This record gives sequence, C-alpha cells and structure tokens, in this order.
Amino acid sequence: MQEEEIIAGLRGQDRKTVEYLYEKYSRALFAVICRIISDQDIAEEVFHDAFIKITRKINSYDESKGRLYTWMANICRNSAIDKLRSKEISQSGKTNTIDDFVYGLESQSGTQEHVDGIGVRELMSQLNEDQKFIIEYIYFKGYTHSEISEEFDIPLGTVKSRVRAALQVLKKNIDSI
Amino acid sequence: MNIQDYIESGKLELFLLGELGEREREEVLTLAKTYPEIQQELEALEEAMFAFDQATGKNPSQEIKKKIFASLEDEFKPEQPTSKESPTPSSGAAPSETKVVKISPWKSFAIAASLVAILTSAAAIYFAGKFYDTEEKFVALLQDQQVMADNLNQVKLQYEETDSRLDRLVAGEFKRVEMKGESFPMQKDAKVDVFWDSNAQEVFVAVNRLNSLSAEFDYQLWAIGKDGPVGIGLVNPGEKFTLQQMQAVAEAGAFAITIEPKGGSKSPTLDKLVVLGEVVA
Repeated sequence: MQEEEIIAGLRGQDRKTVEYLYEKYSRALFAVICRIISDQDIAEEVFHDAFIKITRKINSYDESKGRLYTWMANICRNSAIDKLRSKEISQSGKTNTIDDFVYGLESQSGTQEHVDGIGVRELMSQLNEDQKFIIEYIYFKGYTHSEISEEFDIPLGTVKSRVRAALQVLKKNIDSI
Repeated sequence: MNIQDYIESGKLELFLLGELGEREREEVLTLAKTYPEIQQELEALEEAMFAFDQATGKNPSQEIKKKIFASLEDEFKPEQPTSKESPTPSSGAAPSETKVVKISPWKSFAIAASLVAILTSAAAIYFAGKFYDTEEKFVALLQDQQVMADNLNQVKLQYEETDSRLDRLVAGEFKRVEMKGESFPMQKDAKVDVFWDSNAQEVFVAVNRLNSLSAEFDYQLWAIGKDGPVGIGLVNPGEKFTLQQMQAVAEAGAFAITIEPKGGSKSPTLDKLVVLGEVVA
C-alpha cells in the first residue's frame, strides 16, 4: 500500500487499512515508546492510546507538513514523554549520570531485550562517545535538544550537529543489521 | 544559500524528531519544496529512523492489539459489499442464503463490544463504590487513631503529673490530716485527706468520699490558722484518690472544706461546712 492509499483508507475508517497500518508500523512505533518508558505495561498502555489517537486524528494530519511515519512517531514520542512527566519519574531519570544510564541499559528489564539480540548494540557501537550520548538522551530518555544543551552545558549548535552526525552513522549502517 | 550547509546543520533531524518551532518547521517545509536535495535528505532520514525503530523494537503483545481493535470497532465503516452478486439468481434457494450472509460479522462484533462496554461500566461503578467505601473506612480509622493518640497523650501527662507528685510526697515530710463530715449536717460520710508539708509549705488533697455538686457550686479548701481561714484552692470531687495540689500554706491548725458559689469565696460560708480536720501536733 502506498502512503496516499493508507491515508485515504484511514480517513475512510476502513478496517483493512487500519490492520495494514498496524502490521506495518506497530513494531517501530512501539519501539519509539519503549525507548522512553521502560515499564512494559505502561508502554503498552501508552501505545494503545497513541495508536487510537493516530486513527482518530488522521483528519488533522497534513501531508504537506511531513510524512506519515514522522507524524505517527511524534505522536507516540509525545504521548510517552507526557506519560513519563505525569508520572514524575522523569525527574529521577534525568538526574542519573550517563554511567548509570548506560549501566541501566544493561540491567533494566525490557530495554536489554530489544537492545540486545538484534544487533543494535553493534549499531550503537559504530557511534563515537559524543554521538552515543546524544542518541541515548534523545532516543532513550526523551530529552529535547535544548534540554540537553542546558543540562549538560553543550552549545545548541553542537547538539544539533551531533544529532546529525549520529543519525548519519545509523543511516549508513542500518542495512547491515 | 548553501543547501549542503543547511542539510549539515542538523535542522532536518530535529524537524523529524518534532523539535522545531512553528517558524523553523515552515522554513524546512518551504525549502524542501524548493530544493529536491533537501526533500530527498528528509525522506532518507525518515527511512533511516523508521528502519532504526523497526530494528530496535519488539512487537507489542497480542492482547494490546486485540484491545486496540476492540476500542476501534465501533468506528470502522461497514465494508462495502465487494462481491458482484449475479443480478438474476437462477435458483430459488439463493435468497435464504444471502440473508444468512447479510448478518455480517461486524454486527455481532458490535453487540459483543457493547456488551463488553456495559460490563466494563458496571465493573467500574462497582469498583468506584468499593473504593469510596474503603476510603470512608480508612478516614474513620484515621480519626479513631487520632482520638486514641490524643487519649494516650492525656494519660501520659496525667501519669507524669502523678508520678512527680508521688515523688514529692515520698521525698517530703508530709503530715496527713483527715477531714471528716461526721459532725456536720451536710455530708455525714464525707471524707477527704490533706497532706501538708509545713517546711516546704506544700498542700495536697485526696478525695476519698465527696458528693458531686451542681454546676454553680465548688468545694473550697480552707487553711485555718492564727489569722482565721484562708482559701487555698478548689477541690474537684470527681478526682477521687488522686492528689490535687493546693496553694502553699506555712501555718495552720486545721483544714476545712465548705461549699461556695462557683469559683470560691473570700471567706468561708460556715453553714455549708462539709468536712473539718485538725492538724495533730
């Protein structure tokens, strides 16, 4: 199904299209949420709400403002961040040192399962320390670039270029996993 | 402007992460329309992000999928009849068959979904009721606990007071003066003890038997010395067999209790004398 067909089907409230959307994107969208929320049950709850929001808000989606996946991923990402902040676990999360976090990656249940095994660890190992740090904070902890800049005293421009560099590396290596 | 520099700036990534403000978003969109390189880069980056998400993720559980589709069930449009029915059924058996087909599954799903909804609401109401019950009980328990804590505090204070009085009683040189009501008309069987340490000038009263009074009267204790009776405090008839401390007295030949108007009087009302006891030298 082409993107236009999916969008048209979603707007027509067509069951088959929603099923197709689910098959194609649920894994990736769920991953976006799981990076930010480590608790499996809460992550699924957020995913449930976010997916329903996607199908209901499809009429407010504007193709000229970005592609479908980006729009959906942002809904999931924002829902997860909202949940995280509403639970007030973000505060404790954000005071963790990087070491705690990297160490936490190994030990926290849930995160390890999908970080391990699929070769993402190898993928992440392609990044240098700075890039890894940025990816961990933006992808795994739900920070915005300006929050990183403020909290770790890194100039905004540097944060931006590191995000860029990290994603370039991931882009190049994504096919190898 | 240099397209490559713009691409390198990292703005496109932030655009995809939803982190740009309205103005910068518009800027990226406009430029993407103008410069195909930027559009291509955006698409490639989105592909990479999707691939990254797909690779790092795991599938959500089957239960959550069921839940999502159950939640959406009512919103799906019934499917268009796609089968091209033959316009002229050749045999008479067809109509009854088509009827069976027409009770399409979405109806039973809808019924099932509304049943689930009704059951869920009932359960929600039931549990809400339970919750409020439990909360009320909890609040009541908290109040009980507060009352008990207050009582305990009072008892503790009383105990400490009594303990310190007992200490003083044991340590001091107290004389016991028995006051009796036998020779007076008021309360024949009244009996109150005074404990007096003339050196320390301390006086305690212990009620043994004393009738209670109506609210407008008090018992008043008098120390009778050379200068006549001196009021040294009000006696509480309710506090039996405990030591009630009175005002200091240095010199007295006898102690007596009279009934006085609430708050006590300057001089005793002698016709309401209840008990009297002389100090044994």
